[in-house]
Amino acid sequence: MTLIQERPSGPGLYSEEAEPLTQIVPGPRPRGVVKFITSTDHKQIGLNYMVTAFTGFLVSGIMAELMRTQLAGPDNHVLTANAYNQLVTMHGTVMLFVFGGPFAFGLANYILPLQIGAPDMAFPRFNNLSYWLYLGGFLVMMSGFLTNNGAADFGWFSYAPLSEAIHTPGPGVDMWILGIALTGFSGIFTAVNVITTVFTLRAPGMVMFRMPIFVWNSMVTLFLVLLAFPVLTAALALLWCDRHLGTSFYNPVGGGQPMLWLNLFWFFGHPEVYILALPYFGVVTEVFATFSKKPVFGYKGMIAATLSIAGLSMGVWAHHLYTTGAVLLPFFAALSLLIAVPTGIKFFNWIGTMWQGVLTLNTAMLFAIGFLIIFLCGGITGVMLAQPPLDFQLHNTYFLVAHFHYVLLGTTVFGAFASIYYWFPKYTGRLLDERLGKLSFAIMFVATNLTYFPMHDLGLRGMPRRVFTYPANAGWTFLNQLATIGAYLLGIGVLFTVINVFLSFRRGEIAGDNPWDGQTLEWATSSPPPEHNFEILPPIRSERPLWDANHPDQLTEVGH
Amino acid sequence: MRVEFRVCLGAALFLGIIDLIYWFTSNDDAGTACLLFSFFAYALIGSFLFLQWRRRKGIPRPEDRDDAEMSDGAGEVGFFPAASIWPAGIGIGAVFLAIGLIYGVWYLFIGGVFVIGSLIGFMVEAEAREEGPDDPGFPAVGPTGPDPETRAATPGTSR
Repeated sequence: MTLIQERPSGPGLYSEEAEPLTQIVPGPRPRGVVKFITSTDHKQIGLNYMVTAFTGFLVSGIMAELMRTQLAGPDNHVLTANAYNQLVTMHGTVMLFVFGGPFAFGLANYILPLQIGAPDMAFPRFNNLSYWLYLGGFLVMMSGFLTNNGAADFGWFSYAPLSEAIHTPGPGVDMWILGIALTGFSGIFTAVNVITTVFTLRAPGMVMFRMPIFVWNSMVTLFLVLLAFPVLTAALALLWCDRHLGTSFYNPVGGGQPMLWLNLFWFFGHPEVYILALPYFGVVTEVFATFSKKPVFGYKGMIAATLSIAGLSMGVWAHHLYTTGAVLLPFFAALSLLIAVPTGIKFFNWIGTMWQGVLTLNTAMLFAIGFLIIFLCGGITGVMLAQPPLDFQLHNTYFLVAHFHYVLLGTTVFGAFASIYYWFPKYTGRLLDERLGKLSFAIMFVATNLTYFPMHDLGLRGMPRRVFTYPANAGWTFLNQLATIGAYLLGIGVLFTVINVFLSFRRGEIAGDNPWDGQTLEWATSSPPPEHNFEILPPIRSERPLWDANHPDQLTEVGH
Repeated sequence: MRVEFRVCLGAALFLGIIDLIYWFTSNDDAGTACLLFSFFAYALIGSFLFLQWRRRKGIPRPEDRDDAEMSDGAGEVGFFPAASIWPAGIGIGAVFLAIGLIYGVWYLFIGGVFVIGSLIGFMVEAEAREEGPDDPGFPAVGPTGPDPETRAATPGTSR
């Protein structure tokens, strides 16, 4: 049915004269499993996304623990080489395509319409469809483990001609290809949906330059999705043709060109890194601003930085291919180094947001600060690796593994955990337990460094990535043991948060609508929000309308 | 609208420029083609938004005005279906299609039935909204939607 909103003028949120927004939405209201399957409510779909993505995170985490167990000692045989290769491939694939991106899509689904004062996403049924394609893709991808030859085992970027049928036969690879294609379609649909929502469903007065940074970052992320995923899907279709229809796009034997796969894949692959990172930049910006009780420092600079990171990320794909000798080194090195500039602006703005603020160091804030530190380490090694002379030395060593785990763990995992602790009261109306949360943070922060820092040194000592075992006389044993202990600790840290969520879901302290004295519109509605979100909206006169409504004596300066 | 189309056209401009640089300096057709695709994608979105803006003769929407009141946005917001089984049907069909591409024709057949059937259901549902109980006849009963009686009295409004 058509939704009509009477938007009364006059007094804002807490005035007694304010009338509710009247909404007419007929139709059945399913409950339970039927609600999970059929709901077109953006909040339900957002939660579906986040729960599924977190399941993927745990599954993929178990794979990582298995790999670290195998690497705990020299000449170890916990896993066979083949099983190790499958785990390497599927760990990467699931973390990227099932956890990192889709968890952010779930956040965008749940939080973004609330933050811009919209009643729902622009295309609710389309939204539901993208969830089903995503879940289908996850299941298809994972069912590779059930086949005779096992899942795909060529590493998550599946370089041709290794991925051709003659080198890696078996249906597991095809399941990998089609699973990714399905999640890719889901991503494209989500992108269309979110971008349309931001462009057309904002509340009156919510001009583009008053949207919270999380909304900006999610939108720009989905701009990138719109460019990256079609290219990947096309590349996968060509790979499938190579495997089954006898073409040779990538197969040099038939006159094909392996470089074509490399270019197409990384044209997707590098923006993908920013697709994973940018939404979580938005999350921590919100967390910093709320818990410093200040507006975001350099709001427009932040947006400019987001846009330029996204723009530059489209032109740096071949810095993964320096050592092929078939790419234009100066072009890619220059653009890769340039990305450090807007990222640096973001760092200064985050610190500026906290500067002289009234800080509340609760778990969400701690995770956000953890994000800042860990991502900074990853960023610095990134700048190092962007320089071809160094990259030639370190390519495909554990140094690289350390670098991208610092980047991706810092952004996706710490960002996602910050978002869980920050927005859990909005999803459920209950607070997460702070003691368990802080314990979880402390363990995870120490464990992350314990796991990945030794890998830098392992890389400098020449340990290549993706080896399933190593000889005892290589001098790599001690550092690997440290990393393995770290990995187990990291698992324990994550477990504490999982337990926390289960306990607090039913027994947590009642949060109320606005437990953090929030600044943005999602805290202006009840927890959890009613269907179609808002009964009353405060007037929107700055980028933190709720703060202005709650603190009329400290209005946000407009136009800073 | 102005910020929206400027962002998209700006992105297109940037992608166009780096594509030109890349085209002339590298010998890589794949990358050039990808960047060209990106340029056209953003040029398309940006120029669509620009035309929408022109069609409104530059008159800002309430969400584009600094000083808009909530009442400026009164009226129809859009069509928001309440719940629908068909997206799940298409999703299941897509999984069968994927398995069919690996294991053979029979799965393709099952997947096709699911996808086409659900698409038809999807479209019929969208059509039905024109004929369903019309808005004026439907009583407004406050912020949480109609009461259970009204709901029971209007079968076939499942979205």
